[in-house]
Amino acid sequence: MITAPGRSARYSGVVAICGNPNCGKTTIFNAMTGLNQQVGNYPGVTVERVSGRFEAPDNPRHKFTLVDIPGSYSLSAFTPDEYIAASVLFGQLEGEPSPDAVICVIDATRLERGLYLLLQIMQIGRPVVVALNMMDLARLNGIRVSPTKLSRRLGGIPVVPVVGNRRRGIDPLKREAARAATQSPKERRLTFDGVTEGLIKELAESSGRNHRSRAQYLRIIFDENGPAEREFIAREGSAAEAVLRNGRLRIREKHGSLVVAETQALTKHAEELYRVAVRASRLSDLTLSEKIDRYLLHPVLGPIVLILVMILVFQSIFTWAAPFMDMIDGLFSSLADTVHGGLGEGPLRSLLADGVIGGVGSVLVFIPQIAILFVFIALLEDSGYMPRAAFLVDRMFRWCGLSGKSFIPMLSSFACAIPGILATRTIEDRKLRFITILVAPLMTCSARLPVYAIMIAAFIPYKTYLGIFNLQGLVLTLLYLLGITAAVIVSFILKKTFLKAERGTFMMEMPSYKLPTLRSIGIRVFTRVKAFLIRAGTIILAITIIVWALSYYPRTTELSEQYAGREADLTSAYEQKTTVVKAGIAELTAGTPENQRQLAGDIVSGFERLMDSNDPQETRRLLNAEHPGLADLIEQHYQLAMLRLEYQAALTRLANQQAGERIRGSYLGQAGRRIEPLFKPLGWDWKVTVSVLAAFPAREVIIATLGTIYNLGSEIDRQSTSLIDKMRNAVWEEGPDRGKPVFSIPVALSIMVFFALCCQCGATLVTIRQETNRWAFSAFTFAYMTVLAYVSAMTVYQLLIWVGL
Amino acid sequence: MTPLSNMSPGQRGIITGFTDESRVSRRLLEMGVVPGRSVVYLRDAPLRDPMEIQIGSCCLSLRRSEAALVIVNPER
Repeated sequence: MITAPGRSARYSGVVAICGNPNCGKTTIFNAMTGLNQQVGNYPGVTVERVSGRFEAPDNPRHKFTLVDIPGSYSLSAFTPDEYIAASVLFGQLEGEPSPDAVICVIDATRLERGLYLLLQIMQIGRPVVVALNMMDLARLNGIRVSPTKLSRRLGGIPVVPVVGNRRRGIDPLKREAARAATQSPKERRLTFDGVTEGLIKELAESSGRNHRSRAQYLRIIFDENGPAEREFIAREGSAAEAVLRNGRLRIREKHGSLVVAETQALTKHAEELYRVAVRASRLSDLTLSEKIDRYLLHPVLGPIVLILVMILVFQSIFTWAAPFMDMIDGLFSSLADTVHGGLGEGPLRSLLADGVIGGVGSVLVFIPQIAILFVFIALLEDSGYMPRAAFLVDRMFRWCGLSGKSFIPMLSSFACAIPGILATRTIEDRKLRFITILVAPLMTCSARLPVYAIMIAAFIPYKTYLGIFNLQGLVLTLLYLLGITAAVIVSFILKKTFLKAERGTFMMEMPSYKLPTLRSIGIRVFTRVKAFLIRAGTIILAITIIVWALSYYPRTTELSEQYAGREADLTSAYEQKTTVVKAGIAELTAGTPENQRQLAGDIVSGFERLMDSNDPQETRRLLNAEHPGLADLIEQHYQLAMLRLEYQAALTRLANQQAGERIRGSYLGQAGRRIEPLFKPLGWDWKVTVSVLAAFPAREVIIATLGTIYNLGSEIDRQSTSLIDKMRNAVWEEGPDRGKPVFSIPVALSIMVFFALCCQCGATLVTIRQETNRWAFSAFTFAYMTVLAYVSAMTVYQLLIWVGL
Repeated sequence: MTPLSNMSPGQRGIITGFTDESRVSRRLLEMGVVPGRSVVYLRDAPLRDPMEIQIGSCCLSLRRSEAALVIVNPER
């Protein structure tokens, strides 16, 4: 039976899901809602609002909205962002439905921290469901948590054991959440001491008709000068304010400090719950982690290990990936050859072979390198090394205006600036967060890697020093360091000028080391490679086709006819010359005795056979040694062979000339040559200039564009399909340097430096807008990075030319 | 009684209180740095800042300036 849409889309309630940062809340949220998600922003703040839908497993007609609350350690709120999160839970944010139930996700390996938040949430007075996450990991760590005992101790609040990343326990969690949402709200109070309880009562009496939950009164009392207090005073007036002031004085008298009064009480309860719920706790893993940290966080050894790890990553990106890259390259070369052989001359063949295969294919070659990079990033994150790295570098980062907390977003930006920018959410200080967002795109992301890889492979000699460091790897390391240095300088300037950051905090839990699972690493590498393939299949393919069209058209027949004429001239001249030589050979052959005719025939075939492997001079020498009496005949055949070679070379030259003239006359060529002077100080010819400009939406595009342009620029020379060879052979077409190679070491370095510092990524700019809520930040990032890239590339090029490289 | 930042690596102590009621202190409390609990000063990062402490089963890293807010009764 088909139900009416109005009835089937009935929403039975709203459930909020909250928890500590990194407790696995998002994984559970994703597992519960699947693809039914909506992402937006709460008005006026940078807090992202994510909501989704789920249905009760035993009654699919009961549908619920699930609202993701940003992760936090407590409900205490001082900044607008924190207040938004708490207000949604309290149901006091305008335009937001008040939640019918709250799911509190607790990481079983960090139970006490989660219980602290849970105790605060229980004071809201709404039905609560506990999702006890990472039960498997806790058991591995020797922490055996009993959900039943915990639930009993919490007064019957359902506690559902969950393993979020394996989707275990998701259906029971949905069932409990659905049941809780239909229950009537109940306050499960945690009793504070008499002074605090008395004050809550007094405040409730003095606030007349406005009903507030215990959780809200606790915020009013304990968050001194916080937004909850301000809202309370604004609504209830000065009499209520006086009650609050007096009450706080009494709390201070008893506990010495307002903050201690609340946190001590909650911690005590949390500890009690922990003792009841945890059966056996052996702390072997902590001591193991502790033993490892003795070396990895050692003041001298620690930084050395960190540097070695980073060098290892960059070296292996080059050495391990090479065989796989050759394989993919070979695959695309043979594919291009097949297309070339199978299709007739024309736009379709050119589009497929030069545009699609030559362009997109040259980008796909870099899949192995990207996969290796992500294997390392996943290993470092999952093993628990990342927070240690932050610990080691915090002091240095602070010196340039950042914090160790910026290290994790920055390190993620080595993969891609987008997850890096998203990771800045853990930075509490707003200005520090903005600085980190603005400099994150300077870190060398994986999309820059193909550009570096191809330039380095083509122009930096493969030399090895000390047996392990090769020059190519060192140049790559230097480029990574360039990005880091630029980020340091820019953030230092930003901090000193208009984003004067106050002191941020650096409190961070050090998780115990974990053995990363193959599955989780596999998933992350797969997701990243997939994202790269999608980019290659969409934006890169689209730009490649546009670039191809712009460089293929206009296709004038005039030019073809002109070149066909010149080719005919060449052919007739060649034929005339060969006729003369052939006549000479016939004469000589006629003059030779019968018994030597056979030998003359051998010489002809000998020439043809030897010519394939030897040059004509060498063939002549060998034949002369073999047949001392036939010098004249051999000489004539030698002449013939030389003529044939000259003719072939002339044809290739002519074809290349034609292809070159074609591309110069194309729309792309016309435009490129017009803007060439602007990039001449960087050492670029118009082809490089056009390729770089086409790469502004997504930087990997440059490889595809260069591939297309150079494929179109050399129709005949199909023996070397690799873009590297073509770039090595590229020469200036006009101007004072005509005939000299376009790419020298200074030009290659100037291109790489430009790519290191330029923000050629539309997706990053959109993400910056999303995370900061202002286009101005995107515009600023784009502007400063482009200027920085241009000036630095020019400086590098001019400097290298000046020293005579 | 001494600020946590004045202890030396490897030393133990009991947390007794805080020097102020700032947000930093509040956050420390929420992370489990609560009066009455015992604390172990594990180590310093290179350049002697930040530092790592252990409270219960949990290791925390914090800056020297933040540790200066915590008053500790050190073990002899």
